[in-house]
Amino acid sequence: MSTLRLIALLVAKDLRAEARSWQTLGLLIVIGLLIVTVLGITGEGGRGSAALWTAYLFSGALCFERTMAVERRDDALAALILSPLTRGAMYAAKAATNLCMLLALVAIVTPVGLVFFGMSLRCTPATAAAALLLSMVGYAAAGTLFSAVSTRGSGPAGLVPLLVFPLTLPLVIASASLLDGRGGSLPILIAFDLIFIAGGWLASELLLEPRGAS
Amino acid sequence: MTRAQTILYRAYWGLTLLLLALALMAAIRAPVEASMGPIQKLFYLHLPVAMNTFLSAFVVFIASLGYVWGRRRAWDDLAVAAAKVTVLNGTVLLLTGMLWARVAWGHWWTWSPRLAFSLLLWLLYAAYLSFRPMIESPSRRAITGAVYGVLAFLDVPLVYLSVKLLPDIHPDAVELAPQMQLVLALWFVPVTMITGGLIAARYLLSQRAHMDPRLAHAELRPTGMVT
Repeated sequence: MSTLRLIALLVAKDLRAEARSWQTLGLLIVIGLLIVTVLGITGEGGRGSAALWTAYLFSGALCFERTMAVERRDDALAALILSPLTRGAMYAAKAATNLCMLLALVAIVTPVGLVFFGMSLRCTPATAAAALLLSMVGYAAAGTLFSAVSTRGSGPAGLVPLLVFPLTLPLVIASASLLDGRGGSLPILIAFDLIFIAGGWLASELLLEPRGAS
Repeated sequence: MTRAQTILYRAYWGLTLLLLALALMAAIRAPVEASMGPIQKLFYLHLPVAMNTFLSAFVVFIASLGYVWGRRRAWDDLAVAAAKVTVLNGTVLLLTGMLWARVAWGHWWTWSPRLAFSLLLWLLYAAYLSFRPMIESPSRRAITGAVYGVLAFLDVPLVYLSVKLLPDIHPDAVELAPQMQLVLALWFVPVTMITGGLIAARYLLSQRAHMDPRLAHAELRPTGMVT
């Protein structure tokens, strides 16, 4: 059998498996549409907002996966679960760690974005700081909760963005609106934070398990 | 399926198709709206589908809460069935909204609050269906789906409020003549029956798949007891 024929057989096998499950293509299409949507809704205020939010979302998803993978390595999470600590408290601690990471990201990436895209703030610095802080609190709360589903680093790639990005779209719109000087969205950010902090605390009892998604 | 169930099934879908045909005829005969023209007739389908998208999303929410509370596989099957119908309704909502935008404003898409809301709602539930096959363990898949299903529904009001921050070119309200209101009311019945029928059919199919391995594939794969 020629090499070309073998390659054709392998390609046919892969495509047939994909056509039956739609796992990869389904994921790609939804993630692709989410990216286009984030760029579209934040693009109303210019390219800069869109670029900044794309950076926050993707770097944040990576952060959630990595901080949870650290706990899964050598079954550290299993040991923590055996300790007297409640899963809610473990979730709160992990969310606080992720929030610190996200704020460091925002502190570095935002000024760089402002310079690269020639952006100027259309709101007061205090409003911008409040908008970004509240956004990152909500994003950390949602992301930490669903990072508990991912496995020890070798889990299904793209699971955390797929779970977290659609839920955080109101956060993206409200925050971008504040940064672009359209205002009126602080209550949305606060409501989002409260729902996801409370929901994360309660749901961590259900989702935080030593083995993750496998 | 027993003989009585088959008769009930056929009668349900027969009545639904009959009511849909009646609603279609009523829409064709309804007067043409002065400012929008014939494209306004799309509204008779658009609004009931929008309401049914919320209805099926609400079923996902209730079924997800049911699963969190009781951990019975039936609740998970119901949530998946309702999520599939939410995505289907959301697709019709998006397509009719885009068609309206094309005729009314000359663009297939504009980031107006209502179009953006339809898209975000669709994405919330399309993601629900996309992540489930990625989680191998049936119990982890079900509990993750349940938590997501509850949080996604709580997210919907925030999505609605946030998209209102986007610039709007929609008319504030569409004034309908009494005859048009009657046609609109007529459309709600078959569209709601289709939504309910599809959720029930998909749910029953899942139940059968658990019993008959030959029907199994991907999401419907027999998974044993969810504990």
